[in-house]
Amino acid sequence: MPLYLPIAELSMDVFLVVGMGAVVGFLSGMFGVGGGFLMTPILIFAGVPPAVAVATESNEITAASVSGALAHWRRQGIDVKMGSVLIVGGAIGSFFGAQVFTYLKSLGQVDLMISLAYVVFLGSVGGLMFWESVRAILRQHRGYIPPKVSREDRHKAWIHMLPFKMRFRKSKLYISALLPLLIGMLVGVLAAIMGVGGGFIMVPAMIYILGMPTNVVVGTSLFQIIFVTALTTIFHSVNTQTVDIFLAVLLLFGAVIGAQVGARVGFKLKGEHLRALLAMMVLLVCIKMGFGLVVEPDELFSVAEVSAAGAGH
Amino acid sequence: MRIVFISLMTVLLLLASRPAGGLVTDLSNKRIEIRYSFDGAELILFGAVGSSAVDPVNDAFDVVVVVRGPEADTVVRRKENVGGIWINNDNLVFPAAPGYYAVAASRPLVDIAHPTVFASYGIGFDNLPLIARSSQGLAEPDPEFRQALYRLRASENLYRQEVDSVSLVAEGLFRTDVHLPANVPVGEFIVETFVFQEGSLKARNRIRLNVDKEGFERAAYDFAHGYPFWYGLTAVLVALGAGWLAGVLGKK
Repeated sequence: MPLYLPIAELSMDVFLVVGMGAVVGFLSGMFGVGGGFLMTPILIFAGVPPAVAVATESNEITAASVSGALAHWRRQGIDVKMGSVLIVGGAIGSFFGAQVFTYLKSLGQVDLMISLAYVVFLGSVGGLMFWESVRAILRQHRGYIPPKVSREDRHKAWIHMLPFKMRFRKSKLYISALLPLLIGMLVGVLAAIMGVGGGFIMVPAMIYILGMPTNVVVGTSLFQIIFVTALTTIFHSVNTQTVDIFLAVLLLFGAVIGAQVGARVGFKLKGEHLRALLAMMVLLVCIKMGFGLVVEPDELFSVAEVSAAGAGH
Repeated sequence: MRIVFISLMTVLLLLASRPAGGLVTDLSNKRIEIRYSFDGAELILFGAVGSSAVDPVNDAFDVVVVVRGPEADTVVRRKENVGGIWINNDNLVFPAAPGYYAVAASRPLVDIAHPTVFASYGIGFDNLPLIARSSQGLAEPDPEFRQALYRLRASENLYRQEVDSVSLVAEGLFRTDVHLPANVPVGEFIVETFVFQEGSLKARNRIRLNVDKEGFERAAYDFAHGYPFWYGLTAVLVALGAGWLAGVLGKK
């Protein structure tokens, strides 16, 4: 059943779109990740212009994060103060990310930037995750238990020398506000140029750099993602008019159903096996994106309409 | 469609039988509305040649129909290998490339008239006045870019040449199908009909065709482009509502 998407300006099959949402939703439910880093590339592979894919996915992530954050809110798993600092950073990052996005779009280089960002971030995060999970699986086979490192010991000395210290009661931390601000900014930039929530960077950063307790990490990260992707959606709407609400709602519909099923499957698998699987998938997307950059394309030329706002297609 | 076709044919037959008739054409639909289910459109162009243009009964004639979509600044980019990766490195802007261009003819163009004849009327992709704008100013385009524009647009069914044919139905009557793909640009189209006989133009006429987003699609597009901030805010509110709903339903 074809549906004409008025903003993307193309006709897509409704079942294909809902199906893509469901598959990504299934995987994100199973692995407990946002899924933006899978959905955006899949949309691009399906023929959606990369700029529309990134902007629309921001909109979908807002919705997906709300339902996730609600669950964590009920369990009191959100550090609102920490989240607010991360949001301020995220807003700054997203603003500049969207500016860069708009500028590169007018130059015809936005697709390149999206691919490069995916290859670099998915490659490094996927590689690290794969290494970590394989090591955990091997250790378990040998029966090795790594010594526990206490939360306080994770902090490096330089972190305590930074100014603007702030107390975060819920996270039981007294650290410089600059750290979460910078992490938030990086995540904001990624949200604007990659169409991701940025949880895959933010969650490890919260655990290993900030030293937040794990019970508030995911909730606080989702809390930040709601606001930053919402802002990103508005920035992209204003700058490039590339947000397609209809596409976002259809994807969300599929994702909600898929996530329910995925979560049930996820419970049956071991943590390190899940992480290894997820890492492999991340690397697969990264390799696919990377191939597009290094292999000589069949068609070297591309055609786009130049409009006043610099919007392609 | 069939009823439209028959009734139009009747009208045209009456027109054609009148001795003073020149060239008359009409489209089965002059206004194409792009709505949610839009998956392209098929139109029929009917025409009749009266005896003042050619003598359709006694002499063979040829018909060429050119459908041209709205012109727009169009950029063609070429990827080049820079440091191991393929990036858009070179580009050329065609300030007046039609978004749609289709040529249908009753016979292969080479059999109808000499190429210079087509060139003088601007018929055929090769005869489109496409001047390119590059960093060196206006110039005759690099043929590779021009060919790429044609090739890419043809692969999307937006440029069609020597694909569709005009069928000569009866004495002085002809018809052709106009195929508009789903990704057809919106705007005003010009449908030009040329009648050739023995290699020279005998009659021509043009009619207009409008393609536009309608109803909800129009409203959504106008909203997104006219009030982008409010559109973005709406998108966020829809997402918040949908996410909240999903969260509440998912809990049960």
